[in-house]
Amino acid sequence: MTPTYMNIMLAFTISLLGMLTYRSHLVASLLCLEGMMMSLFIMTTLIASNMHFPLINIMPIILLVFAACETAVGLALLISISNTYGLDYVHNLNLLQC
Amino acid sequence: MAYVLFTLSVLLVMGFVGFSSKPSPIYGGLALIVSGVVGCVIVLNCGGVYMGLVMFLVYLGGMMVVFGYTTAMAIEEYPETWGSGLEVLGGLLVGLMMEVVLVLWVLSLDETVVVSFSDTGDWVIFEGEGSGLIRGDSIGAGALYDYGRWLVVVAGWTLFVGVYIVIEIVRGN
Repeated sequence: MTPTYMNIMLAFTISLLGMLTYRSHLVASLLCLEGMMMSLFIMTTLIASNMHFPLINIMPIILLVFAACETAVGLALLISISNTYGLDYVHNLNLLQC
Repeated sequence: MAYVLFTLSVLLVMGFVGFSSKPSPIYGGLALIVSGVVGCVIVLNCGGVYMGLVMFLVYLGGMMVVFGYTTAMAIEEYPETWGSGLEVLGGLLVGLMMEVVLVLWVLSLDETVVVSFSDTGDWVIFEGEGSGLIRGDSIGAGALYDYGRWLVVVAGWTLFVGVYIVIEIVRGN
């Protein structure tokens, strides 16, 4: 396995772990989600360049488009949480009571 | 330097550890921007000029700006940086230590780390009258509007619905 690919997959895994663990803020998990999308973008672009297969380049662009859409929805939820509770602390989300 | 791509990918991992150790989100955004710049340079090094430009404009220029001022709305009085408190510092140090150990292990193997990441280069066209020159990745991305016509239509409609959803969420049902 080429060390550069290994490092990029490691970056994806680190972002995944960061997204799954909660500390106090909710927007930190959204940032880790962005990191995952970015590492996937870099990975697919490198594969498209190294396999000399330009048509794969469609995939990172579409991935980026839908990641931007997902970010917008996540930030909108964050804004509505922030409007209700004042801050986006995770322990404020206790409607489910479990 | 032959190891420049490997070094950049190590810096990428260190930047990712920087925001995955979950400091206050304004510092996480800073680490994400730095990681984005390093990742863009990696993409540029492999010949993906158009993809690097797209990433800079759309990702760093668009989404990070939106993240920046959204985070500014949800910030507390004393934001927690990497040096304050043991959790964030511990996470950062564990991540960096892991990456250093991994790099030393990879370099100790006797495989050829100096990989030939040759770029796409320019594709020279010899056809018809005269000759032309195209870049691989911009042509590949341009094929989105040729072979992927329906994908563009579906993605555009999805984004429109997404914007409508965002407006409805922010308005409060």
